[in-house]
Amino acid sequence: MTPRSEPAPAAAPERREHEPGCEHEPGCITCGDVARPMRVLEVDEAHGLAVCVDERERREIVDIGVVEAVAPGDTLLVHAGAALHREPA
Amino acid sequence: MRFSEEFRDAELGRGLAGEIHALAERAGAELGRPFKLMEVCGGHTHTIYRYAIESLLPGGVELVHGPGCPVCVLPMGRVDDAIAIAQRPEVILACFGDMMRVPGSRGSLLEAKARGADVRMVYSPLDALRIATRNPDREVVFFAIGFETTAPSTALTLRRAKAEGAANFSCMCNHVTIEPPLRALLDSPELELDGFVGPGHVATIVGLRPFRFIPADYAKPIVISGFEPLDVLQSIQMLLSQLVDGRCEVENQYRRVVPEEGNPRALQAMAEVFELRPHFEWRGLGTIPHSALRLSDAYAELDAERRFPVPGVRVADPQACQCGEVLKGVIKPWECRVFGTACTPERPIGTCMVSPEGACAAYYSYGRHARGDGTEPATAATSEAEATTATPQVLA
Repeated sequence: MTPRSEPAPAAAPERREHEPGCEHEPGCITCGDVARPMRVLEVDEAHGLAVCVDERERREIVDIGVVEAVAPGDTLLVHAGAALHREPA
Repeated sequence: MRFSEEFRDAELGRGLAGEIHALAERAGAELGRPFKLMEVCGGHTHTIYRYAIESLLPGGVELVHGPGCPVCVLPMGRVDDAIAIAQRPEVILACFGDMMRVPGSRGSLLEAKARGADVRMVYSPLDALRIATRNPDREVVFFAIGFETTAPSTALTLRRAKAEGAANFSCMCNHVTIEPPLRALLDSPELELDGFVGPGHVATIVGLRPFRFIPADYAKPIVISGFEPLDVLQSIQMLLSQLVDGRCEVENQYRRVVPEEGNPRALQAMAEVFELRPHFEWRGLGTIPHSALRLSDAYAELDAERRFPVPGVRVADPQACQCGEVLKGVIKPWECRVFGTACTPERPIGTCMVSPEGACAAYYSYGRHARGDGTEPATAATSEAEATTATPQVLA
C-alpha cells in the first residue's frame, strides 16, 4: 500500500474470517440498502483501494473503483466493501 | 461522523411530526381512509422500527413495508442450489451473514456448514476474493445477493478477479433490480398505495430515472429517502405535501448523497460484468421477467452456475408462511398465522424473519413497542420472544 499522504497510518489489520452473527447489528449493512460512513486514512490508487476507519475506529480496506479523486480525510459511504459516494474533507 | 448524527435531532423530529399531522388532517378527510405509504427498502423498515417512527405519525398515515430486503425475496430453490455447490469437497462458499440462515427446502447454509460444508461468512465480495487468494487449492464461490446498491461491489471484485487471473474464484449471482418488482407490486390488484418512500442507496447508483415510471405510469408520488430518522420523517412529510398539492413527482430528499444521474462509474462496471436474466423467481411475487442479473458472457468463466452443476429446482414456499402477503403489504407481519410462534428469528420459516431488515424480524424486535395501541399481537407472546425483544431508541 503506497500512502498518498504523510504520516502513513499503520496498515489495516488482517480481517478474521467471520463466524455467523453480524457485527453491524442491529442492521446488516451487506443485506439492507444501508451504507456506513468511513473516513479515509490512506489511498492506494494503483490498486483502487483505500484504508478507511468507521465511527467505532474499525479499519477496513475499501474498493474505491466507482468514486473519484479519493484523498485522506474524505468521508466515504461504504456498502459491502465498496465506496458508493465520496464527501470531500 | 457526518451523514448520521445530524439527522437524529429530537426537536426537529417533533417539528416534522407536527407538519405531518397537519398535512394528514388537511388531505385525509377527502380520502376517507388512511394514507398508505410503502417504504420499499428494508433499511427504512429497520429505521422506522428502531426509532419508533410510527408512534410519531397520525392515525391517518399508515406505513406498509415493501419488498426491499434482498434476503427476503430469495426463493428456497436458490438456497438449495447454493447448498449443492457448498457440499462439494473442493468448495469454500462465501456469503453474507444473513444469507446463512435463510431456509431452503432441506435446511440453511448454516445447517449445511454444521454437516461439514465449508461455508464462510464475509462482509464483502473483496473478502471472498481474499479467501480465494489464500486458498489456491480450493474453489471459492461467492454467493452474491442484493439490489443495485450491492451489485457494484460484486462487479468491481469480479473485474479484480479477472485482472488477477484468480482461477479458483467464481460467483453465484443472485443480484436483483428494483424497477421490475415495483412494477409488479403496482400491478397487483390487491394493493392500495398512495406513495413510496424510495430506496436512497439504490438511487445513489441508478439515479432518479428508473423511478420516473411510478408517477408517469401509475400516478403515485415517490420520495427518495435517506436512512436516518429525520430523513424518513421528512420524506413522509414531502409525500403528504405532494398529495395535498395534487402533485405527483419523483422528489429527492437524500440530495446530500443521491445525484440525479446516479453513479456512472458503478453503472458502467455493472453493465460490463452483468446482463439481465430473462426471468427470476421472487418470493411472494412469483416469476418476474428481467428482474435479476447474471454474469455476462465476458465473465462466463467466473460464473459458478456454469462452473458447477446446480439442481435449479423450483421449490414452493411453505404453506404456513405468508411472507408474500407481507412483502406486498397486504397484511402486517403480526397478522401472519405463524408470526412469533412457529416462525421466530431463531427458527425462521419465512425469509422476512431472517434478516434484521426483514419486515417480520424488524417488527419482532421493535414493533410491539411501536404500535402504541396497548395490544400485543395475538400470536407473539412467547417467553423466548420477550427475551430477545429490543427497545426502540428515542431520537437524541
